[in-house]
Amino acid sequence: MSIPYFQHPSSFRDPSGFVFEKDNVVYRQVNQVYKQHFDFFIGCGLYEKLVKEQLLIPHQQINENLTGSNDRYATLIPAPVEFISFPWEWSFDMLKDAALLTLRLMKEAIASGMILKDATPYNIQWHNGKFIFIDTLSFEKYNPDEPWIAYRQFCESFLSPLLLMHYSRQSLQQLCVAWPEGIPLTVTRSLLPWRSKWSFHTYLHIHLHANISKRKTNKTGTNTKFSKQKMRNLTGSLEMLIKKLKAPDMATAWSEYYDEASKRNNYLEDKKRIIERWVDELPEIKTAADLGANEGEFSEILALRAIKTIATDSDANCINKLYNRIKSAGKKNIQPVIADLSNPSPAVGFGNTERSSLGTRLHADLCLALALIHHLVIGKNISFEMMARFLSGISKKLIIEFVPKSDEKVKLMLQSKKDIYSVYTKESFEQAFKKHFRTEKQQDIAGSGRTLYLMQRNEE
Amino acid sequence: MMTDYLLYIDPGSGSYLVQVIVAAALGVAFFFRNIKNSIKAFFTRRPKEPNDNTRD
Repeated sequence: MSIPYFQHPSSFRDPSGFVFEKDNVVYRQVNQVYKQHFDFFIGCGLYEKLVKEQLLIPHQQINENLTGSNDRYATLIPAPVEFISFPWEWSFDMLKDAALLTLRLMKEAIASGMILKDATPYNIQWHNGKFIFIDTLSFEKYNPDEPWIAYRQFCESFLSPLLLMHYSRQSLQQLCVAWPEGIPLTVTRSLLPWRSKWSFHTYLHIHLHANISKRKTNKTGTNTKFSKQKMRNLTGSLEMLIKKLKAPDMATAWSEYYDEASKRNNYLEDKKRIIERWVDELPEIKTAADLGANEGEFSEILALRAIKTIATDSDANCINKLYNRIKSAGKKNIQPVIADLSNPSPAVGFGNTERSSLGTRLHADLCLALALIHHLVIGKNISFEMMARFLSGISKKLIIEFVPKSDEKVKLMLQSKKDIYSVYTKESFEQAFKKHFRTEKQQDIAGSGRTLYLMQRNEE
Repeated sequence: MMTDYLLYIDPGSGSYLVQVIVAAALGVAFFFRNIKNSIKAFFTRRPKEPNDNTRD
């Protein structure tokens, strides 16, 4: 008997079960092969403890066999995750916290007689204002004859990018796109500076690990006892090392943006007032994407109105600052995401379907594109028409700011660039957007020469 | 005994061996750290810190 359902394209590696979708609901099937581990996980109270501490996604168990498969042991409905993001869209401190969450779960698991059998960033997602572990089938019973099976995976997918960013003082999220299964230890070792060997824990987990992993040995794992204390020492050492790593917090072109922008004659205040008024008149908006969000000042206007907002920026430092602010204030409605709109995250993994592109994931009721258009049109030579088409793929409602050529910021950009933008005018902007949107409201921002538009997508 | 079906991620041919070595090195390191911490705690009369960093 075959029943139509959609197995998630990234859920094929672990034979313990899989994620599938049916009638727009996401389910997780637990297979017979994982039965004893799953029963133990629930029975020993670990599941309840992790859910209570908001470390693991809660689920509901249902009785129907929705896939019709004979392998099925149980079917779960996990709490929904709104926007799936990937490690190349996370800032340094986000990846660091994801790594620490993984180690925390490993510690909790060891205390309950279990371990984490995989340690990949894809098992961690944003949920209610923070990271949470989503793979309920990652826990298996501790076996004293085996070391930590996910050790190398942890070192390659968490430790490697963190160490490389820490030592180089550069944002290197793109390395995670190049190696979605983790940066190979030999690559990390050769990119790290020699002095990294002086760090005892870095030496053990990267340099020594890379050297020994290369050796062929037939005696792996046989007759070796690996006590719980050894497991604790291993995770403890990784935790100590990761806690000390620091984000590359170099000042960038954007890091002082608000300080600078606020000095311009009430510009920010007036802009905020207009947006607040417009948003208040749109009670149907539940989700939003703030493109070029900087440190999320405008995302907060939306978040305060209980609109779930994805705040994107191409500047990893801005997103890192935003993340730390969200974390310390416990804000729930903003999800920080690194995204360069001129080069959004691609689809990677098997069949280009395992990890989907940003374009296929980024959809919202409302899109904010504030002080953004000139960067893409003048900075990257993307036409108004291309921008309008791109934005119409994200949301029905659009709040967009037009920045004229006479603007200080645009003049600054054109200082170092040949002015080939004779068509960069308000008229041609309006003309290009007319094909995809109709303007509902329009207002100039206090003496800045800039204009805000509220637009509604044309439906075919 | 290894349970084959759960070995869906490749632990790396030498990754088990390295863990045995790493765990041994850490065992020694944490042993001395504990001694250092207890001496420090004795003189500073402050409560001892978690010795293996495995607690919160």
